[in-house]
Amino acid sequence: MSAEKRVDLEEKLDRELDRDLQSDGPPPYSAAKGFIVSGAIWLIVGTTWGFIGALEYVAPDLIQNVSWLSFGRVRTAHLNIVAFGFLTATLIGVALYCIPALLRTKLFSERLGVATMWAWNAAVLVGAVTVSMGYTQAREYAELEWPIDVAVLLAFVLILYNMIMTVVFRREKNLYVSVWYFVGAILWTSMVYPLGNVMWHPKTGSMTGTVDAIWLWFYGHNVIGLLFTPLAVGAAYYVIPRVARAPLYSHTLSIIGFWTLGLIYTHIGTHHLMQAPVPLWLKVIAGIDSFLMLIPVFTVLVNLWMTARGHWVNFFGTAAGKFVFAGTIWYAVVCIQGAFHSLNFVQRVTHFNNWVVGHAHIAVFGFAGMIAIGAAYHILPKVCGRKIWSPPLANLQYWLIFLGLWGMFIALTIGGLVQGNSWLNGESVYRVLPQLTMYSALRVMFAIMIIAGALVGAYNILMTVSRGERIEAA
Amino acid sequence: MRARMTPAVLIFGGLIIFWVAFTPVVIVPTYVIPDDPSETWDARTELEQRGREVYIAEGCTYCHSQYIRPQDWGIGADRLAKAGDYHQDAPHLLGSQRTGPDLSQEGGQHTNDWHLAHFMNPRSVRPDSIMPRFEYLGEEDIGALTAYMQSLGGVEADLRMAYQYKVRDDVIAAYEAGPDENIQYLHEQVPPGWRPLPNPYPATDASLSRGEKVYQSFCIGCHGPVGDGMGQASEWLYPPALNFTTIRRNLWEDKYIGGILYYYIMNGVTGSAMPYFKHELESEKIWDVSNYVAKYFIDWDDSNMEPVGVHSARETPGEGENSPPAREVISE
Repeated sequence: MSAEKRVDLEEKLDRELDRDLQSDGPPPYSAAKGFIVSGAIWLIVGTTWGFIGALEYVAPDLIQNVSWLSFGRVRTAHLNIVAFGFLTATLIGVALYCIPALLRTKLFSERLGVATMWAWNAAVLVGAVTVSMGYTQAREYAELEWPIDVAVLLAFVLILYNMIMTVVFRREKNLYVSVWYFVGAILWTSMVYPLGNVMWHPKTGSMTGTVDAIWLWFYGHNVIGLLFTPLAVGAAYYVIPRVARAPLYSHTLSIIGFWTLGLIYTHIGTHHLMQAPVPLWLKVIAGIDSFLMLIPVFTVLVNLWMTARGHWVNFFGTAAGKFVFAGTIWYAVVCIQGAFHSLNFVQRVTHFNNWVVGHAHIAVFGFAGMIAIGAAYHILPKVCGRKIWSPPLANLQYWLIFLGLWGMFIALTIGGLVQGNSWLNGESVYRVLPQLTMYSALRVMFAIMIIAGALVGAYNILMTVSRGERIEAA
Repeated sequence: MRARMTPAVLIFGGLIIFWVAFTPVVIVPTYVIPDDPSETWDARTELEQRGREVYIAEGCTYCHSQYIRPQDWGIGADRLAKAGDYHQDAPHLLGSQRTGPDLSQEGGQHTNDWHLAHFMNPRSVRPDSIMPRFEYLGEEDIGALTAYMQSLGGVEADLRMAYQYKVRDDVIAAYEAGPDENIQYLHEQVPPGWRPLPNPYPATDASLSRGEKVYQSFCIGCHGPVGDGMGQASEWLYPPALNFTTIRRNLWEDKYIGGILYYYIMNGVTGSAMPYFKHELESEKIWDVSNYVAKYFIDWDDSNMEPVGVHSARETPGEGENSPPAREVISE
């Protein structure tokens, strides 16, 4: 861009800023605030639905003949609410703050951002209600029916447009690594979502036969890989140097981590089908690339941990720092676990049982969810111009979720090993069920801790945005 | 020199890397995987398709897989899944969890009345089950779902169903002829060698305790807590579960029942809701639950009777009515 053109742009931007301040449009960061607050509320609903499902494992006759609370529907609603209502929304909120902040500009259109936020929440609400009514396509993570898919896709495209235009009208020349990840996440998801939901087949939302399984697990894995992961990694790249008060360790590692993520994650969906009748060469690619995933994961983690090295004390003083740092630890755990249970001889035990449920919980909540909550706490004072209502409550929330999730992960993992080893030993599925009761009961107890954490968090965030002590403008 | 990330590199690089990675692992398989039906594939009827839609709506796929893996020998992997089994399935329902049993070969394994009882209250036929009750679906949807269940396994499921129906009329006729005639009919279906066979396991307290445990996990739903066939499931089953107390006057050769009980627990009563248990219960558990049923419900224990043969080293002689029959042999 030539120098004159740049000056022109800056002038244009200044004019717009002035106009915005005079107009009655939404104040800066309204969209980010909306996404974060609604995400915190959805987390209560999502974890409560998870709790109901967990309870039904232990007491299947507690809720009888209430169709919308039947396990198959509760599980679907739980998954979609947590994945899209809480996690994606919170991380998008974080991104919509970080991108303009990093580029020393404002969001291209705050009005569009706020409209997208409402559309997004409407889609999640309608999605949760419809799957509870039994309107589902029964493809994991792709359950929502076609009209809701259209709304979700539209929201992603609008967010992408808003992000790219913000990048175009930036004042900071260099794009910081978080910006790559945020834009990359939404760019990739704008393709992954319609492809994975097979949106050109509106009625079934699916391909046919085993080919459909390949498409679905490409999608199911890349909701994690190309949506949650890059959004959360982008947020961690933003928060960790700031909390550490240290510059980012390595630009080269950032570059390697970003491009290998897009290349490798896209390949590994078929590791969900290792024992299914799909071509062997696909399983080989998925298996090998599951190990190659350690490259994008550990370049990021080494980069972040080396940045934090020597500054640990800064992390333990804030709930935000702790949340994000714990998230990076979970990221390491979940990805090492993921690589190893893609091996056929490990998977013959861990496949089809609670081990996988434990793995999914630490991926979505332990890694991406913890980072989302931490990043939200970190940016919230800037977003709403108020101090966090209660740092001790944020600290309490951290411990409730941290311990609750570890406990749940361990209970599910042991339960899964009991199931997998019993089956491998020739026991029928039915006969293993009584052995599972204890671990299912433990899961219910730990779920209560997590719900408590969600309640404390939502209360704290709502109080912060409405009654937090105002920060004087510098 | 630092590698620069410009907006153009980010967006076009992102697009290129995605499509380069996506094409070989998703687009290519779509075109190279043959779309041929397997030898057992069978087109679904309208009712079966309707049942599949109920299965989708209720999220059954989150607990029930529909493919047998190479390591599944324990659940009776008679046939490993083939790609052609899923010909034209949209969406696929392979599943990702096995909280409940695999259903890919479910067709014909149970009768329709068993499925009705199971959908109305799963614990009425499977006391340890954690499946939700599906009474809210109503008769029509449960019927469709049952038709779908019975279609799983394709041509082989159809053969199993045909066999169930072939025997079913006889089973019902025998039940309607009266309790004694029913038992005579059941005796006659057992291979002759099994009939004059006493339970080779002594009905010790330990054996009876194990038998009680098995009875509570597998039998109590239909046969009831007192063995009169009036369990929770009885309102949905026809013919209902056998009333054990009527066996007392119909013992084989007026004394044997162990072998007959074993045979029916192992194989089930084809054509009725009584399923086979040979995949779930090992030999000793079947003998133990036979002893339990004989002792408490039939009130006749044949486990001390001739022919006894040589006993295993496990059985030691003791005192009391349930002690091993070896006692007499040793004392001589």
